[in-house]
Amino acid sequence: MRFAFRFRQGMKAAIPIWIAFVPSSLAWGIAAQAHGMRFAEIVLMSAWVYSGPAQFAVLGPLAEGKSSVQVLVAGFLMNLRFLPMSAALAPYFHGVNRLKLLLSSHVVSASSFIVPYLQFQKERQDAGDSGLTESTDGYENLAFFLGVGASSFLVWVIGSAFGYAVALGFPTGFEEALKFILPGYFAGLLVVEMRGWVMPVVCLAALFLAVPGALASPVWGWLVTASLVAIFFWGAEQWKCRASALS
Amino acid sequence: MSRIGIILIMGLMAFVVRALPQLIFVGRRFPESLDRLLRYLSYAFICSIVGVTLFMTGGKFESHLAPARALALALTIAVAYITRSAVSGMLAGLLLVLTLSWLR
Repeated sequence: MRFAFRFRQGMKAAIPIWIAFVPSSLAWGIAAQAHGMRFAEIVLMSAWVYSGPAQFAVLGPLAEGKSSVQVLVAGFLMNLRFLPMSAALAPYFHGVNRLKLLLSSHVVSASSFIVPYLQFQKERQDAGDSGLTESTDGYENLAFFLGVGASSFLVWVIGSAFGYAVALGFPTGFEEALKFILPGYFAGLLVVEMRGWVMPVVCLAALFLAVPGALASPVWGWLVTASLVAIFFWGAEQWKCRASALS
Repeated sequence: MSRIGIILIMGLMAFVVRALPQLIFVGRRFPESLDRLLRYLSYAFICSIVGVTLFMTGGKFESHLAPARALALALTIAVAYITRSAVSGMLAGLLLVLTLSWLR
C-alpha cells in the first residue's frame, strides 16, 4: 500500500520530466529516422541504452557505419556520468534486495536521478530536524524512484517510436518554451531545497562554468568543471573546519 | 558488427555503469565529510546540467538566445525562492520565455 503511494508520489513529481521528454524523444526519433535507422533500432536503442545525450552523440557515427569501437567508446564516455548519480542514490535504498536494485538501476538517468535525490535529501533533513534517524525505508525510496524513473522511461521510449513517424512541427516560440521546462524545473527544485550559503555558491559557480567547460570539451568539460567546483568548496570547508578545531 | 549488435553492447555497458554503484554502495551511510562531498558534487552536477541544457544546443553556445533564457532562469529562481514552489518558479520562467520569444 505504502509502495503504491510512494510510486504515485514519484509519478506526480515526474510530470515536468514527461513534458520535457516528449519533444526530446520525438526529436531523437525524427533525427534517427533521418539518419536511416530502422524503427526497431530506434526503439531498441531508446529502451536498452536509455540515454538521450549518448544516443544523439553516436547517431552520426552509427548511421555512417563508422568503427564500432569508436561508437562504443563515445557512448561509454557519455554514460559514465551515471556512475556518480547511481552512487549518490544507492545509500537511500537500504534493505532492498539486489535483484530489484539491478533491475531498477536501468532507469537511472539525469532527470530520474535529480528529482528523487532532492526528495530523499529533503526527507532526510526533515527526519533529522524532528529527531528521527531515518525518514523512510529503502523500499519506499525505491518506489518513489521507480515512480519517477519507470514513467519517464516509458515516455522516452514511446516518444521515440512516435518520433519515427511524426514530423516535428512545433512553432519556434513553443519549442523555446519546451526547452526551458527541464532546466527551469531543476533550478526551481534546487532553490527550494537549498539551505545555508555554501551550496548556493557551489551551484552558481557550477552554473557559470558549465558552458565554458562544455565548449572546451563537449563530452567531459561540464562534468570536470562541476567536479572541480564541488571539490574546491568542499576542500575549503574542510580546511576551515580543521583550522577552527586547532584554534 | 551490425548496428543492432553495437546497440546491444552499448546498452550493456550503460547498464553496468548504472548497476555497479547500486550493488556496492547500497544502504551505506558515508562518513559526514564524504557525504558532504557527494552532496556538493551532485548539486554542482545538477547546475552544470541546467547550464548546458539551457544555453547550449548541439555543442554550441546559443549567444543570441542566452540573455532571454538567463532572464527567465533568474525569474524562476526568484519566484521559486519566494513561493517555495519549484513548479511556480518554472511556470513563471516559462511564461517569460514564451513572451520574449513572441516579442522577437
